[in-house]
Amino acid sequence: MNQSFEIAHMCESILSKIATDFVGLALQNREGPDVRWHYAAGNSNDKYKKITVRYGKGIAGKVISTGSPITVNNFPDNIYGKALEYPIMLAEKLLYAYAVPIFYKGAPKGVLLVGRRTNKPINEGEQNIVRQAALSLEGMISGLF
Amino acid sequence: MERQPDKNEISSYIIQSQEEEIKRIALELHEGVGQTLYSLYTGMQFIGNAVEQDEMKGYVSDMAELLEKTIQEIRLLAVELHPPTLTTLGLLPAMKSYLKLYTSTYGIEVELETSGKEVPLEERQRITLFRVCQEALANIARYADTVKAEMTFTWQFDHLSIIIKDKGRGFDKDKGWHQSTGLAAMRERMHLIGGEWHLSTKIGEGTVVELYLPFI
Repeated sequence: MNQSFEIAHMCESILSKIATDFVGLALQNREGPDVRWHYAAGNSNDKYKKITVRYGKGIAGKVISTGSPITVNNFPDNIYGKALEYPIMLAEKLLYAYAVPIFYKGAPKGVLLVGRRTNKPINEGEQNIVRQAALSLEGMISGLF
Repeated sequence: MERQPDKNEISSYIIQSQEEEIKRIALELHEGVGQTLYSLYTGMQFIGNAVEQDEMKGYVSDMAELLEKTIQEIRLLAVELHPPTLTTLGLLPAMKSYLKLYTSTYGIEVELETSGKEVPLEERQRITLFRVCQEALANIARYADTVKAEMTFTWQFDHLSIIIKDKGRGFDKDKGWHQSTGLAAMRERMHLIGGEWHLSTKIGEGTVVELYLPFI
């Protein structure tokens, strides 16, 4: 099984395991600091393929720059900054998102995001599943750098 | 008795002051802060080459990389605030450049069509048209739920017309008018440069924004 297929399979598997609407995997470009969405499951369109966020911008850029998880509840209420700074939430019409970093050689290089189109947060157990999946993905993304 | 400025003159003054301030900040970021950081970056590279300890070399290299990212951020922020092409090359080249950024930010393709020969506009007109187009496109990204949009520039000898169209969700015009100040602000901005702004929308069919600027 090649890496690409394994990663796509992992995204699909998270989608079914925790009954979420969207799962996406973003990675920092090999060259330069920009971040792109590479894989998605449950996506309602292909916008994610064209979206590039800058390091430190958008959910993916912020997770990579801080190396910490980010939760967005009831988007776009109570967000930091403007709704337009959250392109993946707009593109997929998400109201809730939980995004965790994926590390490569000790540095945050990727993001695993799960989202819902309703404002129903995932519970602690489900967050744990996402964190575990991010750990598993750490080994899989090595070939992409 | 001295004549008091009317509401339009005050709005125009506020918008113009805001734009001048944005331009000043953009220039200061690009020419001031950006240049200083670049000097620091080259200095850091110089130190990196001179240092012999591996650990320290790695540390200096990380700092230089961080500075490089910050410089890029500052440059992009300056361009976002006030695109320099708007002043140097004009409205159409600035819009073409913005559309590339728009597609890579929101994943929405915008098909741009132009006809006629571009007429040089006053800076106030260029900025206003650019900002109104930005607002219309931002509304598409936020509300239209579509992957495509169309933009048409028609240059005539006596006017410029710009049409921004999407086949997205559409909305209830009356409701939208009451919920968003963005629509009223677009219309107001166009009035202040002697232009017109029209909106037509139908739920499930999409939205059309039309801008009209006569050359007096």
